[in-house]
Amino acid sequence: MTAPRLPVRTRAAMFLRLLAVQGAWNYETLMGNGIAFAVEPALRLLPGGRGGDRYRAAIARQNGYFNANPYLAGLAVGALANAELSGDPTDRIERFHTACCGPLGSVGDRLVWAGWLPACSLLALMAFGLGMRPAGVVLLFLGTYNIGTMALRYWGLHAGYREGLRVASALGAPLLRQGPAQVARASALLAGIAIPLAVRGVIGPAHEALEIVFAAAAVGAVILARFNGRVEGWRLAVVALALFILISVVR
Amino acid sequence: MPIELYRIDDRLVHGQVVVGWGQPLNITFVVLVDDIIATSDWEQELYRMGAPPEMTVTFETVESATAKLAEYQSRAAHGILLAGDIDTMRRLVERSGTINHVNIGGIHHRAGRTARLRYVFLTPEEEVSLREMGAGGVTITAQDVPATTPVPLDEVLAGTGE
Repeated sequence: MTAPRLPVRTRAAMFLRLLAVQGAWNYETLMGNGIAFAVEPALRLLPGGRGGDRYRAAIARQNGYFNANPYLAGLAVGALANAELSGDPTDRIERFHTACCGPLGSVGDRLVWAGWLPACSLLALMAFGLGMRPAGVVLLFLGTYNIGTMALRYWGLHAGYREGLRVASALGAPLLRQGPAQVARASALLAGIAIPLAVRGVIGPAHEALEIVFAAAAVGAVILARFNGRVEGWRLAVVALALFILISVVR
Repeated sequence: MPIELYRIDDRLVHGQVVVGWGQPLNITFVVLVDDIIATSDWEQELYRMGAPPEMTVTFETVESATAKLAEYQSRAAHGILLAGDIDTMRRLVERSGTINHVNIGGIHHRAGRTARLRYVFLTPEEEVSLREMGAGGVTITAQDVPATTPVPLDEVLAGTGE
């Protein structure tokens, strides 16, 4: 049995619910409740409808422990909805529910936390260096970051429902396999442009603060080298961005 | 160093392993030990997709991992050995006799388990198993990512999940 084509309303409801996938996050089931919440609109299409035996059994299955990158959770939500509506064997759905957590977390973390977030931070830093006002810098960061992650959510839900339990092929898409490396290269380029521009932006036309800025940069470099691998890149990027905005506001 | 980390984590290949540990330890191969996944093609394909292209993932049963462990340990490249549950790691530890340090990276909630750390939930049987492994000379610590402090087994078992 193949899964039916989802009505637009159902897809839209699933997508909107994906925005709240971590809304009921807890240390027992992590984002399990959120996954069930996002799959639920599709489960209403099961024989017996909302409240029927299959609906209730499926909700109970999807409500268990689940952990993945929130921006790629749509891939799991789509695949699980397809599996439930296709009548795939229950044990296979349960094993998939467990097995897809790790890969979705791994791919999503590399693409978003270690790739897209630092890249967007550096883009905002570059804009600051080019003279954009602080509010503009913040809006640029939020805008670019969220355009990317919303697109990832939409693609994940669509690809997951299309592929069902064969979703590993979607995880092999060039965007996900090569994306992190490409984003890292782009980030390196942005860093090379953004950091000197930001330093110039902080120093301003008078160069009294030049020594302080270079001393701070040297200390930062030592800290980075000392804690290499033990601090998360996205945290550093966000702290650096916040510091530059703070300095620009204070000045 | 051959295998840098012997980790128990029910999520197996995931972000904390690939990014959190993989980058600072320069990991290029993962040995995933699980008797069921080692015979399941679709699950293997899924887990392979979780690793970056430059990182290889090899699937072993406890028996085959025991047989090949010396080879993995003698490699020049750095690797991580992953088991999804305590029983799998314990059998491997007992059969190989060459594993001295086990990392608990994540054992999550299910019926019958009690919270010990935020990322470690254990049944009474699992606690006994960990104690016995520790009594056998294996150093067991809980640490989800390198940026956190390792928690010794005694502290883990005395924890309340906070």
